Amino acid sequence: MNTTVDGDVARFAAAVRAAFADLPAPDREALLEDIEDHLVEVAAETGGPLEERLGPPETYAAELRAWAGLPAPGAARRRGPRASRLGRRLERRWRAALAHPAGRAVVEFLPELRPAWWVLRGYLAVQLASLGLDLLFAHDVTLPVPTILGSQVLGLLTAGAAVVGSVALGRRGTATRRGRRLTLAANAALGLFALVLLGGVDATPPTDEPTYEGYVVSGSYLEPLPGLRSDGREISNIFPFDAKGKPLEGVQLVDQDGIPLVATHDDNPQLESRLPLDSSGNAIANRYPREQYQVDPATGQRSPVPAPRPRP
Amino acid sequence: MDTTQLLKGVLDLAVLAVVKERDGYGYDVVRRLRAAGLEDVGDASVYGTLRRLYAGGHLSSYVVPSEEGPHRKYYAVNDAGRALLAESTKTWRSFTDAMNALLGLDREEAA
Repeated sequence: MNTTVDGDVARFAAAVRAAFADLPAPDREALLEDIEDHLVEVAAETGGPLEERLGPPETYAAELRAWAGLPAPGAARRRGPRASRLGRRLERRWRAALAHPAGRAVVEFLPELRPAWWVLRGYLAVQLASLGLDLLFAHDVTLPVPTILGSQVLGLLTAGAAVVGSVALGRRGTATRRGRRLTLAANAALGLFALVLLGGVDATPPTDEPTYEGYVVSGSYLEPLPGLRSDGREISNIFPFDAKGKPLEGVQLVDQDGIPLVATHDDNPQLESRLPLDSSGNAIANRYPREQYQVDPATGQRSPVPAPRPRP
Repeated sequence: MDTTQLLKGVLDLAVLAVVKERDGYGYDVVRRLRAAGLEDVGDASVYGTLRRLYAGGHLSSYVVPSEEGPHRKYYAVNDAGRALLAESTKTWRSFTDAMNALLGLDREEAA
């Protein structure tokens, strides 16, 4: 292999690369990573200048672009630089998802949902119309049967007709570009409305029941307090009784998962528990009732905590 | 008839079939397609098709150092590629059956 061939290959490859300048560098490299090696093979076989064998590099690049399934250079450039970067990243993710068999299966399945959307679309259109009429004539937007002019029967009939119309529209398709854009816009609007409708279902509180807006959920939900608690109140000891009301001693308690139930007294640092030890000298923390003493912080004196009486 | 127009629909199938027969690097695939009778196949179209099938997860690739020239990037058909080839072959068969019937070619063969 002589240097003139290498120079020819380098020139040709550079011209091809230049034709892909609109692609982000990683994409361009992924496409053209072995173009030089490839061209060297071509050159080695034919001997003459590459252009003679392959045509002008721009034509070569255009053919390569088309076969690699990439958009024409103009199409990619029309988007803003920022939007296109995001777009390309999404596109790469999308391609990667499609490369996976599961991703492909999902994408191939999606068109089958189209008829379901047509039905839903008709229904949503009527609900939206009902909402529009609601502003003129005061009545509620009702689920699932829409109310039209105060009548659910009329609502049902309208919904039926709209579903038939929507399905017919879906099956026929839209021939003109303008029609397609209109359909797309209407679909997007109805999709958005569906979300609003869904949100409304949950957000509406039942009118005759009290709401618990003042209820403190942060203590038990966002930051669960440590220790053994019942409704947020710390359990420092447990007193079991048998069926006849006789107090039991030495009862070992576990929770629903078999994990020892260990009482705590973080809220009451002056409480002292004496835990029994097992044969190997480890504290048995879940045996109840515990022997407990209240310590006087001033004197350090301990007084036994009396057992409570069960409250009805 | 312009065979480049016909090739547009079937180059994926042809490339997959060639690579399935034996792993190949870019120019080797071009050569084998031409040797098989697809003389009009364009170099850039094969290169582009290989890159697209690779990006789409239908081909895997590995590099083989070559003594006389550059390292060669070999392509091999993976499971997804085999599935695509099988599916495309089915489509191709039913399409050619229909075309042959239209053109009266199947009757000639039978005669």
